[in-house]
Amino acid sequence: MSVIENLMVGRHMHMKTNLVQSFFHFGPSQREEVLHREAVEEIIEFLEIESIRHVPVGSLGYGLRKRVDLGRALAQDPKILLMDEPMAGMNTEEKEDLARFILDVREAKRIPIVLVEHDMGVVMDLADRIAVLDFGRKIADGTPKEIQANPAVLKAYLGEDSQ
Amino acid sequence: MKLEMATLPQLLRKHAQTTPNRLSQRHKQRGIWREYSFADVQRNVRELALGLHLAGVKSGETIAIIGENEPQHYWAEFAAHALGCKVVSMYPDLTAGEVAYLMDDSEAVVLFAQDQEQVDKGIDVRAKLPTLRHIVYWDTTGMWSYNDPILHTFDALQQQGRTVHQRNTKAYDALVDAGSADDIAVLSYTSGTTGQPKGVILTHRFLIDNAQRLINSMDVRPDMEYLSYIAPSWATEQIYGITLGLGLPMVVNFPEGPEQVLANIRELAVEGMTFAPRQWESMASSVQAHMLDAGPIRRGVYEWGMKVGHTVNVGRLDGKPIGLWDRILFPVANALVLRPLRDQLGLTRLRCASCGGATMAPDIFRMFHAMGIPLRNIYGSTEVGLLTCHQGDRFDLETVGNWMKSHPEAGPPLEWRVSADGELQIRGGSPFLGYYRRENSVESKVKDGWFYTGDAVTKTERGELVFLERLSDLKRLRGGETFPPQFVETRLRFSPFIKDIMTVGDETREFVAALINIDMSVLSRWAEEKRIGFSTFTDLSQRPEIAALLGQEIARVNLFLPKHARVKRFANFPKELDPDEGELTRSRKLRREFLEGRYSMLINGLYDGSREVRIDIPVTYQDGRRGNFEALVSIHDTDSAGSYHLGAA
Repeated sequence: MSVIENLMVGRHMHMKTNLVQSFFHFGPSQREEVLHREAVEEIIEFLEIESIRHVPVGSLGYGLRKRVDLGRALAQDPKILLMDEPMAGMNTEEKEDLARFILDVREAKRIPIVLVEHDMGVVMDLADRIAVLDFGRKIADGTPKEIQANPAVLKAYLGEDSQ
Repeated sequence: MKLEMATLPQLLRKHAQTTPNRLSQRHKQRGIWREYSFADVQRNVRELALGLHLAGVKSGETIAIIGENEPQHYWAEFAAHALGCKVVSMYPDLTAGEVAYLMDDSEAVVLFAQDQEQVDKGIDVRAKLPTLRHIVYWDTTGMWSYNDPILHTFDALQQQGRTVHQRNTKAYDALVDAGSADDIAVLSYTSGTTGQPKGVILTHRFLIDNAQRLINSMDVRPDMEYLSYIAPSWATEQIYGITLGLGLPMVVNFPEGPEQVLANIRELAVEGMTFAPRQWESMASSVQAHMLDAGPIRRGVYEWGMKVGHTVNVGRLDGKPIGLWDRILFPVANALVLRPLRDQLGLTRLRCASCGGATMAPDIFRMFHAMGIPLRNIYGSTEVGLLTCHQGDRFDLETVGNWMKSHPEAGPPLEWRVSADGELQIRGGSPFLGYYRRENSVESKVKDGWFYTGDAVTKTERGELVFLERLSDLKRLRGGETFPPQFVETRLRFSPFIKDIMTVGDETREFVAALINIDMSVLSRWAEEKRIGFSTFTDLSQRPEIAALLGQEIARVNLFLPKHARVKRFANFPKELDPDEGELTRSRKLRREFLEGRYSMLINGLYDGSREVRIDIPVTYQDGRRGNFEALVSIHDTDSAGSYHLGAA
């Protein structure tokens, strides 16, 4: 599937035409597609992926694929964006790119973002508030500054002796 | 066809009145080509102009615009012209410091900025610019947190203009009527040879005159599809996309973004476009790179087709007779290779392809001509406009073409002459009006009515102009004659066999000689094909067959040079030039002084008539060990390159 098709899938929950209507691609279903295509193009512009609009996602690099994933999530017009380790397996440059888009999403869409991430650099730079889990139990929460100074966090993440 | 001598907004208004639904601009935005008719453009320009007028912008002030080529960029320019303002268009990749310099020098009062990135530059430098009153931006992405009172959106300004228009529908017409063709339209900044950029004063008369020169010399037709890609800060786009686009008129197409240009060209199949050499070169190399990845059969077919295309198309250009067999093969090659290639690149309808701004290797020209694309050179200067271009069906790719005819109402017809030291001098057409706020700038460039271009040129037998070099870059020989080192080097560097070339020759030398760094990867393949045995770079570089081949390449370029400027002797570097040795800069430019010292033995050999020279230079190996590199280097005369002398190496 191409990038644009992928994003259109993200719009699916907003589509109102039913299966029967969709078999005949005219009238309401065509109008609706134009409307959703417009929304998808806005996301393409936002994520700066115009040049790969018609490229199959499978042939893209890892960083771009993740960006398409983010685009598909955004296509649903979420009220809250949940991301589970979006940076896993990325190189520094890809991480920097995605981090910038995450910040842009927060600015542009004005929606809360919940990010689960192990990369401390990313977490400290992006987050306004951090909750730290240790084996499933929350051991601390607060601003990045508070977390960095929290003894329970240091103990859990760096070991007993490091204090 | 003759353009009306008027201001650009007057031309726009005329089209909007007579043919309101005629297509004027097209912009790909969010995946769709959005179209603007003349009535749309006129409405946008009118509202913008009235909005600016309301904001207190007065006739004669300067308006700066920074951003990519987008319709809003052009509307802002037309709106400024409608108010009688002059425009400074800036490259989007300028730094804040450069923006500050240009805006200060031109006394800009309004900055039109495309987006957040450009607005930030404006906000950065406003403290240094007491004259700056407003910053207007059209792309609102990322602008939600800005609330500086100096900022306005394009839409808000237009909204205000709309209200003015509703109250007084004559207001805009009155502004446009007040304009005259001799108003300053544009300050086009040129880097010049020394010092800070200077703003060349261009009037509407200049723009119309130059657009007319294009109409007189190229196959431009009304309503042709034109791709706007080169920046309007370059006077060429002011003439093409802006003036010719309005005057002819053309459909001016704006690509989605700089990265999508090649894809957009294919969607549009434009009929006219102008690129700088760099862009044509990258298009040519993308083809070559794709063909390198192709399988042997496809590559073979491609190479065969291009060869036939070259024989027929380039042969016709040179006026050579085409053999019957090639004439039979040509339609086959066209159907199998050339047309699909043009189609892949989106150049099937391209009629007016031109290349300007700098010298491009004739081989790139030949490649496009072989494909069947009539790519033409265009030459001129910001100060006196477009001067020559390749015209008609027969022209020489090494030249910049024949003289253009200026607009009859612009001034006396264009005349030219070449001074004793080879400088091109121009008279006629719309005159040079000086650099903005530089005293005596006309007097320093124009003497007795002749404009001194500072370009060294020659003329071929068929009367076409050859641009050699900036006069200040010419080097002088002992006899007092000058030669153009860049001209020789640029042309020879595009030989696939030559990686770098350094010409030597100065006041102490009798003639011009050259040192060549061969392209090992290409020449080793060539040697294999010719069944020439060799071992190392040193061995290959000194092979007599290689010398003979390079001698032919030099002889070809020599033909375009006056006798004294020809390369008489040359030698090949026995080792590959290497930035690690300090022989090249990191961007692979020659470090001339260093090379002259390091290879002084070799250079002396070039001039004392030696046939071969033993050189011995210190080198540092990759692992840090130091050693000495010894080699016997043969020296060759170009006249006798056919009957080269065998070196002992």
